[in-house]
Amino acid sequence: MIFEIMDNEQPLSKYILDSEKLETNDFKKKIKIALLSSFTINGLSESLKVKCSKKQISCISYVAGYNQYNQEILNEKSELYNFSPDITFLILDTRSIFGDLFHFPYSITKSAREDFVDKKIFELFNLITKFTENTSSKLVIANLGLPNYSPHGIAEMNTSYSFHDAIIDFNKKLKEKIIDLNSVYVFDFFKFVVKHGEKNIFNFQNYLFGDIKIALDYIPHLANELIPYIISLLGLTKKCIVLDLDNTLWGGIVGEDGFEGIRLGPQPPGNAFVEFQKYLKALSQRGIILAINSKNNFEDAIHVIREHPHMVLKEDDFACMKINWNDKASNMNEIAKDLNIGLESFVFFDDDPVNRELIKQIMPEITTPELPHDPSRYSDVIQSLHDFSVFQITNEDTKRGEMYLQQKKRNEFQNSTLNLTDFLKTLNLEIKIKKSNDFTIPRISQLIMKTNQFNLSTKRYQEEEIKKFSKDEKMLVGCAQIQDKFGDNGITGVFIVNKINSDEWFLDTFLLSCRVMGREVEKAILHYIIDEAKKNNVKRIKAKFIPTIKNKPIENFLPDSGFFLENDFWIYNVEKPFNTPEFLTLRVE
Amino acid sequence: MSEKLYQIISRVMNIDINQLNDDSSPTTISNWTSFNGYVLLDELETNFDVKFSIDEAMDVKNIADIKRHLKNHGVNLDE
Repeated sequence: MIFEIMDNEQPLSKYILDSEKLETNDFKKKIKIALLSSFTINGLSESLKVKCSKKQISCISYVAGYNQYNQEILNEKSELYNFSPDITFLILDTRSIFGDLFHFPYSITKSAREDFVDKKIFELFNLITKFTENTSSKLVIANLGLPNYSPHGIAEMNTSYSFHDAIIDFNKKLKEKIIDLNSVYVFDFFKFVVKHGEKNIFNFQNYLFGDIKIALDYIPHLANELIPYIISLLGLTKKCIVLDLDNTLWGGIVGEDGFEGIRLGPQPPGNAFVEFQKYLKALSQRGIILAINSKNNFEDAIHVIREHPHMVLKEDDFACMKINWNDKASNMNEIAKDLNIGLESFVFFDDDPVNRELIKQIMPEITTPELPHDPSRYSDVIQSLHDFSVFQITNEDTKRGEMYLQQKKRNEFQNSTLNLTDFLKTLNLEIKIKKSNDFTIPRISQLIMKTNQFNLSTKRYQEEEIKKFSKDEKMLVGCAQIQDKFGDNGITGVFIVNKINSDEWFLDTFLLSCRVMGREVEKAILHYIIDEAKKNNVKRIKAKFIPTIKNKPIENFLPDSGFFLENDFWIYNVEKPFNTPEFLTLRVE
Repeated sequence: MSEKLYQIISRVMNIDINQLNDDSSPTTISNWTSFNGYVLLDELETNFDVKFSIDEAMDVKNIADIKRHLKNHGVNLDE
């Protein structure tokens, strides 16, 4: 029963049949897949199509002729390039690559074996290069599986650069060769064989009868492993796991069983929950956001999260916590709003089938997996979703949890303080004015290109123009880095002043990222500009508010700051003293 | 059991069960490609818990051949 949920793949014939009946016209996401292989790989494209359709992806495929991958890649006018795939899978196998050496690796010397591997890698790399020259398709190459067989038997381990060493060396060199290429990736077929076992994957009869080197029943499993590349390419990677607490992160119900009564710890059955929490923690460390949606007394639940000695996940690991008696759908909406993530990026993980059904019906965009009764299989469920894959883990990914956490603390803090000014006072806001230079210009340009809301003129300038302004003595270009007690928001404000003449400056551009809006930091930035004007004996600062559909938040900024209207322009008399709120600290670099 | 056999063939070859008879073969069933032939044998092995030898697999030219080999493996198709 439990087994069914994860492991019981449908037989290949079902996929072949279902793929003919798919109706995918309504799907917004589309992908073109090419399959190249060194052996019979029928059924893979059908399996991929069916699996894609379950994720609302319409998949068109091109399957190259049997063992035609060399010709398809080398011939610039091949059907492959004509098809113009988004992603191409090249599935090679150890027997094809090693040829006669598969059976007779020791008919040649050790150094000849080494040369052989180098030669094969060289050939393959040439193919890859040719491929990348001819198409913008991503390329995913399977590395080689390790056969259990060796003619040396138990002496294999006493053989220098043995048959098995050569295969492992091939895989290692393949990875090294492509690691820096932008659009080429290795699919770890080696690991796929480890996962399912060579005795299952490889079936002599299939092989000898039809050159089928992956047993038919394992083709759908192989498709499962390739789906993450498609998910990642289409940007459908899930961003957040929303978790229940009782019987999900710990065994039992804290409200009934009490702090001491819940099952969580080094002994079974509590260790299943510890194991699951470790798995979640690892996901969070690579950028998947965790959140809580639980029906509980907040005090009961938070007591466990904060104080229980065996909680692996701590309060700070959750970017958002909704622990209350509201219905789970309302909480989900709140979480989506707090984190500012679309519903389609969530996975909802709850042991209660009623809650799952509720979310499935009300929010079908959210992925809601079925859960087994046995918590020891929870990690397996998440793994088998294949929904968290990305081609590469960036630095920003690993820091994401931290950034959301800072945001959470700001929000919580705001809720717990009396009024806005009191709140802002406690933030220890610091505004650091920076000149435009090689380090800041890329970010200045980015903000100028994309900021819509708190943007006085919404003028867009390319990086090259900003560089030009920065060198111009008649211009003042700068930016502001905002820090508070929760962390660094980075460069989030930009200004450009045009020094029209010795009496008058014009505020050409003034903007704040929405991340730091509502904290009055704009006052500190303006204060800096007014001070600069004073130092240069300038009399007036002129500005123009250019309204757009989106920049309402900055509408009252000029009058609120003491500018008065003169014809179509707003004017500030520099002599007039300017007050920056006391809670802001201004520094100039 | 004969019914079960026909159901499997009908499903794998995506053909109405009423169109099947002992003479049905790759010539009469368009979906009976060499690959679908492997898929069919694979399904039969799973469903009848038998293992065909490579000689038997090569020998299958129509449904009658399948029945004969299943019988040789002790599957009673008349039940």
